[in-house]
Amino acid sequence: MTTMNKSLIHLLLVCCGTGCVANGAREVYQALKDNLTSDDKAVLAATTSARATGCHGLCAQGPFVRILPEDITYCRVKAADIPEIVEKTLKQGEVVKRLLFRDRQKKALVQGQNDIPFYRRQTRVALRNVGLIDPSSLQDYLERGGYRALEKSLLDMRPEQVIEEIIKSGLRGRGGGGFPAGLKWKACAATPAQPRYIICNGDEGDPGAFMDESIMEGDPHSVLEGMIIAAYAVGASTGFIYVRDEYAQSVASLQKAIEEAENHGFLGENILGSGLDFDIEIVRGGGAFVCGEETALIASIEGHVGEPWDKYVFPSEKGLWGQPTIINNVETWANIPVIMERGASWFTSLGTEGSKGTKVFSLVGKVANTGLVEVPMGTTLREIIFDIGGGVPQGRKFKAVQTGGPSGGCIPAELLDLKLDFDSLSQAGSMMGSGGLIVMDDRTCMVEVARYYLSFLAGESCGKCVPCREGIKCLLEILTRICHGQGEIEDLELMEDIAETMQQASLCALGRTASNPVLSTLRYFREEYLEHIEGQRCPAGICRELSEFWIDPAICTGCGLCLPRCPVEGIKGEKKQAHRIESDKCICCGECIDSCSFQAIKVK
Amino acid sequence: MKLIIDGKAFNAYPGDSILDVARREGIAIPTLCYHEAFGGQGSCRLCTVEVTAGGRSRLVASCTYPVSEGIEVKTSTPAVEKIRRNIIMVLYKRASGSVLMQKLYREYGCSENSLGEKQEERCIVCRLCVLACEKMGTSAISTVMRGIDKRVGTPYDQAATACIGCAACAHICPTGAIEVLDSGNIRTIWNKNFNLINCERCGQPFATREEIDYVSRRSGIEDAELCFCEECRRKKLVGKMQGFSPC
Repeated sequence: MTTMNKSLIHLLLVCCGTGCVANGAREVYQALKDNLTSDDKAVLAATTSARATGCHGLCAQGPFVRILPEDITYCRVKAADIPEIVEKTLKQGEVVKRLLFRDRQKKALVQGQNDIPFYRRQTRVALRNVGLIDPSSLQDYLERGGYRALEKSLLDMRPEQVIEEIIKSGLRGRGGGGFPAGLKWKACAATPAQPRYIICNGDEGDPGAFMDESIMEGDPHSVLEGMIIAAYAVGASTGFIYVRDEYAQSVASLQKAIEEAENHGFLGENILGSGLDFDIEIVRGGGAFVCGEETALIASIEGHVGEPWDKYVFPSEKGLWGQPTIINNVETWANIPVIMERGASWFTSLGTEGSKGTKVFSLVGKVANTGLVEVPMGTTLREIIFDIGGGVPQGRKFKAVQTGGPSGGCIPAELLDLKLDFDSLSQAGSMMGSGGLIVMDDRTCMVEVARYYLSFLAGESCGKCVPCREGIKCLLEILTRICHGQGEIEDLELMEDIAETMQQASLCALGRTASNPVLSTLRYFREEYLEHIEGQRCPAGICRELSEFWIDPAICTGCGLCLPRCPVEGIKGEKKQAHRIESDKCICCGECIDSCSFQAIKVK
Repeated sequence: MKLIIDGKAFNAYPGDSILDVARREGIAIPTLCYHEAFGGQGSCRLCTVEVTAGGRSRLVASCTYPVSEGIEVKTSTPAVEKIRRNIIMVLYKRASGSVLMQKLYREYGCSENSLGEKQEERCIVCRLCVLACEKMGTSAISTVMRGIDKRVGTPYDQAATACIGCAACAHICPTGAIEVLDSGNIRTIWNKNFNLINCERCGQPFATREEIDYVSRRSGIEDAELCFCEECRRKKLVGKMQGFSPC
């Protein structure tokens, strides 16, 4: 719980994460401030504080207004709801029931954030302050124990002790590769060359992933603190935060935090009197996915085209401008202060044998509670998707979950009890990546999913090395053909053959993992490929050339819901009598399937 | 430093790549994007070899992998050969118009498959042309776009102000993908026309005005000294040297 000034009666936390801002959170916050100050006796203004915070996580239900100390969480709040909230809750102590979270499984209203199943099962370490503090306030961060770890590290520990602590914590990089962070630091410190650099990789580019954005926006000081501790540990004097250009709010939030940290002696010369000089600069990326790859990111900071180079010598020895450089991802940096403050042994008490601590996942796709979820490593997919995520909506069936971003893989229902960590995901033919989880239901065609990811990578590969550039081109060509009903059975083996070469011979991790969407769907959904090729049928009804819809007269109630949804007026039938689809008109858009409450519309 | 390549021990200098040692010792490793003038790029990956270092084996690009003490290299294993064959196969599909790629496709025994071929294309995006242009100091061409659409071009495909028409790009291109059209005293390259100047000695057109000016400016050698074609420059030099006797 966040601390409250004693004279305050209420603290209101308004979620101003990017998703909620898009849904009017800024107007909600403004309305709240207006209403508080317009109180004629000025009692409210003196006893209530409103805070614009970072992302609360349950994006599907935003914008949120959370009232402390009672812990009343209002969902989907509009500016027009504010007078009622002020009047009823703040003045009269009543709860506005219509704005509470509705637990669909228990069919009950839930008042407190910690009672919402989505939050109850989470362990927030990297996101410890996000949603509780005003990111533009250094004071808020300090009240939550901010910069205590820095003080401890700089004043009570030697640099090598700091590195030892990070090694002992077993912290693995959260950006994708999962390389032990402490070993990176150790290698950097052991390389004699000076100067040395610290880089924060904030080039989050996976479709559907926004955990780094949430931290940069909602708790920027935690990233800075992690970087300053590393600067002390390895003897670096300059740091860079590389932020993807689309993240305007992250840039603003970080910029403000850097200024505040400089003004208060956490950055600049002789930090906390320790003799450490360290500055941080923000670099805005150009929007290239490949710049999430360490060496491409370095090339981009240096002013070159964002293309990676062979990492036979790691950046920790030879990185930015040829100097020893540590690159870690936003979430990794946010973990550093907690580890230093609470100790490696606390951190290792969370997680699995090979993956310690927690991981933030961005849960999106066909799942009820979309949003950001932080759980201990080793939590099963089932817990995340069903217990926290609330399962697949609209009564549809879970089919697969895509983990690890575009270069990750699709994991089928049989593996729902897989305990998520770096190693289990690799063994399942996918990867942790930055922690994207895209849930897919039975209206998803796995061949089309593979084709979609390959088309994304076709535009986002840097195009430098042959196995990646030409391999992706060939795989995409074959997948497109299969989706159009022109696949051949030999294509499957050919794809596996090309994919293997891409994995073994590509220059960087993007190329080496680019074939994962194809290989994982071939591994778990081969039948579906065969249906497309030999059966000339797309079982999910997505590939138009291979789909035909019909209405099961035994199920159809003739409710007529699908009629107006059909864009080609291809559904006929009287009210309360079974409808039918005129197949010569049908364009297989699937609108009718999605509108039917009885699942009466089937794919032939 | 000592290393083993295909069972034999060799010496390497600090900073050597595996390919550097192999070239020096006459061990054949195929390449497409490598040129001595620029060093390894690590982009075609045809030079992939198997390296065992510290008890761990991996497949690496020999042109960028720095030699370290005691490593063992195998230049031809079934895994390596398969990678090379597949690289040639996919690259041939992009540049089926290239005679070199047609030859390699046959040599590597790539099997027929359903992938489409681009008969009109010869460029394999090895980027030697870009590096040559960069080395000239002009950088008139670069790779443009990314991903599967990556290609070589001038800025916005317009006639580039920086281009001096030296055609170094075309000379270095392994697949003859860059068109240089010399017609009378006009050279056309990269959508730009140049006037060719004639050799002071034999009268044949041999270089663009812009190239001579550029070389003169960069080298400090007077224009008049440069206005000879390669053949005549050699003959002139031989004439000068006839006065000397070997010691």
